[in-house]
Amino acid sequence: MLLEMERITKSYGSVIANKGIDFNLKAGEVHAVVGENGAGKTTLMRILYGMEQATSGTIKLNGREARFADPKDAIGSGIGMVHQHFMLFPDFTVAENIVIGREPGAVRFDRKAAIEQVEALSKTYGIRVDPRAKVGDCPLGVQQRVEILKVLHQGAEIIILDEPTGVLTPLEVGELLEAIKKLAGMGKSFILITHKLNEVMSVADRITVLRDGEATGTLNASDTNVEELSRLMVGRELAPSTKKPANPKANVLDLRDLSLAGNGPEPALSEINLTVREGEIVGVAGISGNGQSELIQSIAGLMKPDSGTISLLGKDVTGSGARALRDAGLAHIPEDRYIWGASKAATVAETGIMGHQNRLGRYGMLRGKAMKTLVSDWVKRFSIKAGSLDNKTQNLSGGNLQKLIVARELAQNTPFLIAAEPTRGVDIGAMETIHEELLKRRAEGGAILLVSSELSEILKLSDRIVVMYEGSIAGELRVDEASEDKLSLLMAGGGVRHA
Amino acid sequence: MHKIGAWMLSLRGPLIAIAIGLLAGSIAILVAGGSIAETYTEMWKGAFGSFYFFTSTLSRATPLILVAMGAAVAFRSGFFNLGAEGQMAFGGLSAALIGLHVPGPGWFVCIVAMLGGIVAGGLWSAMAGYFDVRFRVNLLITTMLLNYIASLFAGYLVTYPFKDKTGAGAMAQTQMLEHAVWLPKLFKGMTVHAGFIIAIAAVVILYVYLARSVKGYEARMLGGNPLFAVYGGVRRTSLMLTTMFASGGLAGLAGAAEVLGSQYRYIDGSFASADYAWTGIMAALLANGNPIGSAVGAFFLAALQTGGMGVELNTDVPLEIGSVIQAVLILFITVKFSWRFMRRKKRSDRRWISCLIWPCSTRRFAS
Repeated sequence: MLLEMERITKSYGSVIANKGIDFNLKAGEVHAVVGENGAGKTTLMRILYGMEQATSGTIKLNGREARFADPKDAIGSGIGMVHQHFMLFPDFTVAENIVIGREPGAVRFDRKAAIEQVEALSKTYGIRVDPRAKVGDCPLGVQQRVEILKVLHQGAEIIILDEPTGVLTPLEVGELLEAIKKLAGMGKSFILITHKLNEVMSVADRITVLRDGEATGTLNASDTNVEELSRLMVGRELAPSTKKPANPKANVLDLRDLSLAGNGPEPALSEINLTVREGEIVGVAGISGNGQSELIQSIAGLMKPDSGTISLLGKDVTGSGARALRDAGLAHIPEDRYIWGASKAATVAETGIMGHQNRLGRYGMLRGKAMKTLVSDWVKRFSIKAGSLDNKTQNLSGGNLQKLIVARELAQNTPFLIAAEPTRGVDIGAMETIHEELLKRRAEGGAILLVSSELSEILKLSDRIVVMYEGSIAGELRVDEASEDKLSLLMAGGGVRHA
Repeated sequence: MHKIGAWMLSLRGPLIAIAIGLLAGSIAILVAGGSIAETYTEMWKGAFGSFYFFTSTLSRATPLILVAMGAAVAFRSGFFNLGAEGQMAFGGLSAALIGLHVPGPGWFVCIVAMLGGIVAGGLWSAMAGYFDVRFRVNLLITTMLLNYIASLFAGYLVTYPFKDKTGAGAMAQTQMLEHAVWLPKLFKGMTVHAGFIIAIAAVVILYVYLARSVKGYEARMLGGNPLFAVYGGVRRTSLMLTTMFASGGLAGLAGAAEVLGSQYRYIDGSFASADYAWTGIMAALLANGNPIGSAVGAFFLAALQTGGMGVELNTDVPLEIGSVIQAVLILFITVKFSWRFMRRKKRSDRRWISCLIWPCSTRRFAS
């Protein structure tokens, strides 16, 4: 066995990211590690690559125990990692990026030798690159080849690929999978971290599934299928929903053929049709990066769709700005609390009143007392640990900030609410509170679009569920016909083939 | 208590910068062969040594404070206005032309001239804002390049059509304003004029606007995290245009006050050679755009300049010692901003941040 990781455990305070995981790798093998977000895949690989130290457990390389204090150690032992976000210098050439850290030339950097080395490497492994091209000018697929060549130049025998296809076009994905197979044929071993099950099935020899920090099993790819993997990934049984059946009435939000071009050739959104009615929660499930962010931002007036219409309460609001939409009856719990939901340098009170500022004004001046009363009330109701309201927002913990944002948006009391990842990073108690508040809003006749990467949350709260895959709606299910299996399958693109 | 502590903390950076500036000045004094104690004493005397010197410092601080307020209001809202020089030139020239050609009682013409200066500087600056909205050209670049157009155009106007032909000299300048139009001096025989009161009023108004008003809240949030502000319903475009107008208007007012209160005519290049615009911008950057801090910074830099003249008169150390200290301060500000810029660039894969702050043509942003 080339690599054995035994009973790897990693805890951050009370949070256990990896619980006694066993993992091994044979020479010339492609071993995929799959699991939901937060299942512990990345932590496990960071431990292997020396970026984190395991709390307990051992790593054996060729049967001998190994210890990697930092990535340099790991690289020295023939382990290379290609990160999800490329670590390249865009202003430097391909050759310069590949030889970095092991530049040829004693004192002066020997550019010619570098180019020759890269050309030789490229020929040996059959990975085509132009050593003289500037990396910033190369498409993402080529940049990834540069990353792989860099790792090979460092002499890696084991190559870790972290979510390698996330940023690639389908054609580039195909080329990458071919390259992996070819290199594996030459004796290199791969660890492929991903949640795209179709890709796993087409390239992996063995598959280890992680769930909640534990390995739920290692399977031979030939003995399994996408359905079984989804089931293993998600695992737990669904808690029965206690909410009353929906009694939806008039349409509140109506999307017709909404489309938006993406950064690459693939559209970010293609012809989305979606309705949210009074008194109903519509869940949007999907692996992040399949168009959910663009959908939310288009509806919230933060991006202009290229075509299609958005109507809110019967009024055409296509292309309106965020202010106009808020005035028309929209509130919005944003998916990323730091990018959209807060200003770190502002005080807790200032972050808290965003969107309420006009209501709090008198003769153009903010009413300081009314502002404090409003925010203090939320702090109490959601038991937000904020200290003083004059504290900087950046001093709030993520969970407390999330609660503040949820309180702020619920207090808008609008007919329509976008709730994107409403419970990301909050503790269980707060999660219950937020869920109850959302259901209460629904009972009062509010229309809610819930976007979440937590399937359990989607299934618990939603009345209808749409699944997004690559910018389209891959399927729509009523909650009583939905299951985590079905949703996972649709999310992984597994349903598209049969459709 | 809590607030005072935070306030002190925000002063820490500028104070360290000034301390190191003075230290670097000491080295320069040693190199120039002077005595540190003597030079700084003379500098202090030159700036504050007598009522006359003190009021001269206030007089010099007047345009600096106004320019600093202009830079600060833009800066706090997340926009850069580096165009104070051109805005001042247009403001000063407009004030001079209005003062010469608009009929009416002196005080009335003086007020109209100041308003004209505000409008001229404000529109020139808002134009850069419009370019950002319409063509996505970076404000840093447009405001700065518009300086050349404004200064040279103003220079052309006073060299040809509006040149003072009454005097014998060949100076490129307008005619002198009538005495009735002048801003009154605050003390007989001293240089400080009513413009200083206007500058202090501007500081107070700007402080209240930023700290207490709804628009000021929106502006500060936009400056802190533009995506958050836009998400929360702040109208970026209209806020930017009004902020840029106010910012340029304050610089224009600085030019107008300088013309109406101390030069009594527009002289080509006189603002640029005194370096009012850049010094004022520096005061605002030094204090992170806090209005009161920026005003204090402007006053400090004015003292450095008037003090430098005292040094030149009474010691062997040249006037440029003030510039050395100022240069070190600039270095500090540069390091601070480069650091922020690099951190921002690092996150630029989050395309929304990058697109809002640094213009790019592929964006579609509704606001």
